[in-house]
Amino acid sequence: MIEVDGLSKRFGKTQAVAGLSFRVEPGTITGFLGPNGAGKSTTLRSVLGLVHPDAGSATVLGVAYHRLERPLHRVGAVLEASEVHPGRSGRNHLRVQAVAAGLPAGRADEVLALVELTKAGRRRVKGYSLGMKQRLGLATALLGDPEVLVLDEPANGLDPAGIRWLRDLLRSLAAEGRTILVSSHVLSEVAQTADRVVIIHRGRLVQQAAMADVLAGASGSTRVRTPDEDRLRSLLAAEGVTVSTSEDGALLADMPPQRIGELAAEHGIVLHELAVERATLEEVFLELTAGETTQ
Amino acid sequence: MSALVRSELLKVRTVRSWWAYLIVIVLLAGIATASDVGPDDAARDQLQFQVGLVDSAGIAALIAIILGITIVTTEFRHGTVTPTLLLEPHRERMLAAKALAAGLLGMAFALLALVVIGLVAGIWLAAVGAEIHFLDHDVLVRAAQTILLSILWTLFGVAIGSVVHSQVAALVGTLVWVFLGETLIWGLLGLIDLDGIGSYLPFRALDSADGTNDPDMLPYWGGVAVSLAWIAVVGGAGVWRTRRRDIT
Repeated sequence: MIEVDGLSKRFGKTQAVAGLSFRVEPGTITGFLGPNGAGKSTTLRSVLGLVHPDAGSATVLGVAYHRLERPLHRVGAVLEASEVHPGRSGRNHLRVQAVAAGLPAGRADEVLALVELTKAGRRRVKGYSLGMKQRLGLATALLGDPEVLVLDEPANGLDPAGIRWLRDLLRSLAAEGRTILVSSHVLSEVAQTADRVVIIHRGRLVQQAAMADVLAGASGSTRVRTPDEDRLRSLLAAEGVTVSTSEDGALLADMPPQRIGELAAEHGIVLHELAVERATLEEVFLELTAGETTQ
Repeated sequence: MSALVRSELLKVRTVRSWWAYLIVIVLLAGIATASDVGPDDAARDQLQFQVGLVDSAGIAALIAIILGITIVTTEFRHGTVTPTLLLEPHRERMLAAKALAAGLLGMAFALLALVVIGLVAGIWLAAVGAEIHFLDHDVLVRAAQTILLSILWTLFGVAIGSVVHSQVAALVGTLVWVFLGETLIWGLLGLIDLDGIGSYLPFRALDSADGTNDPDMLPYWGGVAVSLAWIAVVGGAGVWRTRRRDIT
């Protein structure tokens, strides 16, 4: 659907993307993650034919973007919320695109309604908040009812209610069978939405996998509370298990909960709490990119 | 292509500068005409005088080159070049659509100026009982030449804008070049008796395409041809530059 193969791009002294390869499968929401400056925007702009790569290729729907017939009907993209003339009204911004794409003028009003911007549509964009501009950008991307959506940091500037709205919108768009590639540096934004993740750092691929696998594969630990803490500690230490204490005083043991439960039962230790402490995507991410950030 | 051109025309009409262009043309063409016709002058009746009235439409050419430059550079200034290129990834087609749209607007500006001149002068001349020659062959030819001139200026503006994507640099650079650069080069060439070559400078060539047949300049069709050559050269460089550019 979207395929990036050996992509490299240098701007002056900065190697923005270095030999990056990944695939976005049809019908999925893929989170494209990386800290600011990781090369996300450069990659997305290469996919859309706006940036000329030094090496490698980027295709969408099997071809280079410029080979798509009527691209607005195939691929919708929002790259930066500010890419609108401040003196033009939001509705006219959409009409300009609709006319060029051969769409009826009424389509502009439809997408305005879809992103809940009908009231502000006739006002000049100059007076829009960042969140309203993001909505307008989404409306632009949806004009041609495309099967692929490429969104660069669409949650920037949205308030919590807006982020929830965006999440719901993306889910319903994906449910219609669309393929969505959405970038973010705020990992929690995509953690609940994306099926798959592509994590990049310093222009290189760090990981590409299903979201569930990334979270499961992360070194999770088991959370234990017991009145008999010292005995459990020494038992675990005897088994060679690393034990730490969480912020709220519970024990965090590097051992599956079943084994800890068995161990406690064997020695008659009372447990008040026994649970898997799931690593958040935030932690996974920090772990994956650790060591490189300080270079 | 026609959808792209219509989109470009809609872009120009949906920002306020559009009204500024129209107001400036109407006001300046009107004032210039009034100050031509106003003074009590026995020449008013004559054909040659009325041909000269058309020259007030020159303001259209000046607005036209500003429009030509900004129709390209505004996209880079506001980042709208990104959505524009997502719609039409072939950059030479985007520039061609802009050139066509700008050319049409350049023509419309000249027509607007001519209508204003016709109205102001016509009413005035009729009021003082002068004979009106507006439909005389010479007046109509000069009017046609003025329309073509305005189109040439617009296209040259589009060419400049596609080479120099920074709006301020393109506008200021063009002004400095027109009022300082070319005059300076012209003067220097004159010192070494090469002012003949100076006639081929871009704005000298455009000036000689205004139909006044100044003996110091290129003949009319020579002026048109040299102007077109400049538009082709600068425009070609603009296509090359715009195609290569990374839109970040």
